[in-house]
Amino acid sequence: MSAVIRLPAEQKYEAELAALARKDEGSRPPGWRLSPRAVATYILGAGKPVDGVAITPKFIGDASLVEVAIATLVSDRALMLVGEPGTAKSWLSEHLCAAISGDSSLIVQGTAGTSEDHIKYSWNYALLLAEGPTEKALVPSPILRAMEAGKFARFEEITRTPAEIQDALISLLSEKQVAVPELARIAAAQRGFNLIATANTRDRGVNEMSAALKRRFNFVTIPVVSDLRQEIEIVTKREAELRSDYQVEPTPPAELVAMLVTMFQELRAGVTKDRKTKVNPPSSVMSTAEAISVLFNSAILAQHFGDGAVGPKELARSLVGAVAKESAEDLKSLREYNETVAKGRDGLWKTFHAEARRILKAS
Amino acid sequence: MSGSSLARVHLFPVRHHSPRSTAMLRAFLERVRPKVVLVEGPCDADPLVDVLVDAKTEPPIAILGYATEGEPRSALWPFAAYSPEWQALRWAAEHEVTARFIDVPVGVSLAHDRASEEHEGEPYEDEGEERGEHEARAEPRFDPHQAAAEARGLRGFEELWEACFEAPAYEPQQFREALLAHAALVREAHPVRWHRARDAFMAARIEAIVAGGEGVDGVDPERIVAVVGAAHAAAFVAGDVDPALLSTLPEARPAATTVIPYSFPRLAAQLGYGAGNRAPQYYQLAHEAGCDFRQATLRALLGFGAELRSRGFAASMADTIEAYRLARALADLRDKPEPGLDEVREACIATLCHGDAGPVDAFLWRGMLGHRVGRVAERIGKNSLQEEFWREVDERALPRDDEPTEVALLLREPRAVETSVFLHRLRVAGVPYASYQGTYKDRAVRRGEVDEAGGVDALGRMRESWMAQWTPSTDIALVERIALGSTLQQVTDQVLGQRLEEATGTADAASVLLEAVVTVCPRPAADAMRACDRLAATDDDLPSLARACMSLSGLVSYGSSRDVLMGGGSKATLDALCRKTFDRAVLRLRPACTGDDDAVAEIPRALQTLHDVALSQPGVDRDVWLRAAAELVEDYSIHPRAAGVATALLYLARHVSEDDVAIYVGQRLSDTLHPQAGAAYLEGFLQINAMVLVKNRAIVETLDAWVCEVEPETFRNILPLLRRVFGALGPTERRTFLENLINARGLGDRAAAAATVITTTDEAVLAEVSDDLDLALDDLDDLL
Repeated sequence: MSAVIRLPAEQKYEAELAALARKDEGSRPPGWRLSPRAVATYILGAGKPVDGVAITPKFIGDASLVEVAIATLVSDRALMLVGEPGTAKSWLSEHLCAAISGDSSLIVQGTAGTSEDHIKYSWNYALLLAEGPTEKALVPSPILRAMEAGKFARFEEITRTPAEIQDALISLLSEKQVAVPELARIAAAQRGFNLIATANTRDRGVNEMSAALKRRFNFVTIPVVSDLRQEIEIVTKREAELRSDYQVEPTPPAELVAMLVTMFQELRAGVTKDRKTKVNPPSSVMSTAEAISVLFNSAILAQHFGDGAVGPKELARSLVGAVAKESAEDLKSLREYNETVAKGRDGLWKTFHAEARRILKAS
Repeated sequence: MSGSSLARVHLFPVRHHSPRSTAMLRAFLERVRPKVVLVEGPCDADPLVDVLVDAKTEPPIAILGYATEGEPRSALWPFAAYSPEWQALRWAAEHEVTARFIDVPVGVSLAHDRASEEHEGEPYEDEGEERGEHEARAEPRFDPHQAAAEARGLRGFEELWEACFEAPAYEPQQFREALLAHAALVREAHPVRWHRARDAFMAARIEAIVAGGEGVDGVDPERIVAVVGAAHAAAFVAGDVDPALLSTLPEARPAATTVIPYSFPRLAAQLGYGAGNRAPQYYQLAHEAGCDFRQATLRALLGFGAELRSRGFAASMADTIEAYRLARALADLRDKPEPGLDEVREACIATLCHGDAGPVDAFLWRGMLGHRVGRVAERIGKNSLQEEFWREVDERALPRDDEPTEVALLLREPRAVETSVFLHRLRVAGVPYASYQGTYKDRAVRRGEVDEAGGVDALGRMRESWMAQWTPSTDIALVERIALGSTLQQVTDQVLGQRLEEATGTADAASVLLEAVVTVCPRPAADAMRACDRLAATDDDLPSLARACMSLSGLVSYGSSRDVLMGGGSKATLDALCRKTFDRAVLRLRPACTGDDDAVAEIPRALQTLHDVALSQPGVDRDVWLRAAAELVEDYSIHPRAAGVATALLYLARHVSEDDVAIYVGQRLSDTLHPQAGAAYLEGFLQINAMVLVKNRAIVETLDAWVCEVEPETFRNILPLLRRVFGALGPTERRTFLENLINARGLGDRAAAAATVITTTDEAVLAEVSDDLDLALDDLDDLL
């Protein structure tokens, strides 16, 4: 096992990608490592093994979204993935880059402090002062590196970046080149370059993208999963991956996962699954990603502080911590949910209700 | 039956409403050059073929088969320009060869529909491949189409059909074989007796035509092309035709057929029944482009771009081009030969709509369904009602599209009044076309209150707003209503006449009278007046009488915008009738006010109505009413609630002074043996006017004393009633009441606080005080 906490997708799924490449008979767009159809297979998984390697599904949900995303990337349009927080936008973006370019690490993380330097290039100032502007002193941004290598770049949370900085992308995406006047040269994009950006709908209106920039993107909205079975499948799978990455032993029983996901979906929707009881949705994000992290957290609690088995007790503890992130009001919603909905249910719910009640009283 | 000639006839399987089937069929016909073209469709519609293919007929159109006797019932066989059946008929006409329908007659279909409704739940259902004439049946439980689609990784049958049959370029022979193979699979998974019986019927008819029957001279079977649904064709090819099933066909009901215009929105709505289209306009585009789905996709996306721009969205040509490219790339990725509807939708969302499905669902997709409405050549006997309808619609420039359109009428203009009469007649006759939206549409809809279309309100109106939309059901209703009369007025006469016969109370008759006036039908109006007179003589139902008075009084005082059209004349009779009905109502006042709670439930409203009529209508004897009401006030044998209402009404009309009210209320409440009666009296009073009760210190004191004196046991009994009474008080009334109560009880400081509430304007003080008041309210809650 490597000492790296988290391997990038192209390394983690190296075997799958290699198998797909060996068997790939479709035509590959310039600079692509796989044909579009093989990319779709990699993301959505295959029913039977390809060249002896099982292809696990990376994205569980509406296949047509993934197809639209891939079809977009075939052209020179950039792709924008939008959605609620925790709907696997970055996850999908990482896997798309891994499959298409074999490199998912050329990332710009959008923040309020992102500047044009992060998007284009900056300088090694010691060298710049010592030798003046030279190729050696130039520090290319991940995007510039992607352009010159003919790979995909990723721009995470683009709407966190001020609109005028975002606009630096316009010329970059339409001219496919970056001028470096200091060196009197133009860095031109190699075939195979494209950009995948993600944006959070909760940030809508914070740094609204300009119409000019919007025109350079095709948009794919990743919906919140509302199908119980589908979300259980996602949570189970992703949590198992996390546990294997971090070598956490205790495996949560299926019933516990089902309970957790039910809880998340009910709190998110503001109404119970049978549509009979109204629930106050908490203001903190009740996303699939959050459910995964709550479950994983419970497993850690069980391993280090419990008896090695993940149960309602651990779940209640990590859930309260996760929900109470934003405000005390959220604890109220959770308490109300616990007393009105969880209380009346059987099985693991009973233990959960008792545990949650104890913890909520203390907090 | 010898299957030999059936096997030798050229069978061409089709899906109804499919551009590819249509193109393939035409190519096939060109090659075979038949002498006779047979088409799946009701065989008694043969005489309509000429009209269907007339140069002036424009699809979408539909054959309408309707029952001519007994329970009204109808069935539709719609055709679009891209329906292979219609194109087959067209081809036959262009090449001057014989065309015949070969399916079971309309009467049999109608009888079957009826039977399958009665046997709902039994395996009687149709399958997806069938056309939409059987509207009232349950969905099949197992869907072989869906299974086939999922096996190919597609979302549903429509997508599968598009990818496998609609988009690929076929040779006619290839297409025929592919479709037959598909249909054979589906048919085996899902045999349905009704369809197998139709198979037998069609086979028999084909045999008969080959043998020279049915008005066709004997023809070599090889010169015949039969155009039938894929499942039927598969049955014929498999030789799976059981003549014994002919006897299972139900007996035909007497029926007739005609051709009516149809519309794209309706065709799309038929989808659930397997014979519609997801998006008729898109298929129309494909049909016009010669089944070039790439072209259709581009034109659809261009249309979307234009629509978005016209609504103020940014949608550049570059976006449209990108959408087109994306749609093609998507089709490629999905292993489809050409993009289809799903690709159009997804590409549009990702590019033109920036990932937001909202605009597509809200308005763009409607463009894909289309608004096209067909036209039927004039030579078809339109019945007189249809003629009248279309003539009026054209003359008055009313909407003729299958799309809701607002029509605003200013009833000062005689022409607008005529239009209003026309629309009201359609409404009364039950012809779905225009629905009344209130006087001002926006205002009424915003408030969520639209007054009744007919009734008293209709009389005094100066404007009317209607939402009009022609749908095929408009024509269907016109065809069906011909049984009631040959003009719209006759139909309305009949409908109103029938309602009059069914009328049991004066109010019913009076409302018919109003409808007759609104629709300008003098005969039912006269009948209704007589009926009013007759019914009022024996009517014991006070609410009904009161409503009738209201209607009549409305007619007397406002007249209506229809006066000119009705020719006046009956004014004197009407006055007399109104007066008589009013007098009769007053006479029945006392008996109507006795009885238990249920019996008088409607009385307060009736009293209020009569009171309004008495005060507003100069034609009636006001004093009679006032005297009668005053008697009610002091009458202890009637229901106390009625007495309470009467007291309040008289007080409002200033026929009882405030001091008297205090006395009456005190009297009623002083009866401690019957506190229930006191509470009911209060309820009646407060229903009409709460303010006077709570404002009057003397009354409040009486009330307080009364509540305090009630025995605990009795108090528990009247508590729900009291809660209801005081729960209905508004905030101002509550506050006044409280203030008076506090004063009466001498609640000291809090009383001062309450007084400040009334006088103060300082918000800070007010906030402070309102806390005090809350406390006081709690006290009151404890009291009550």
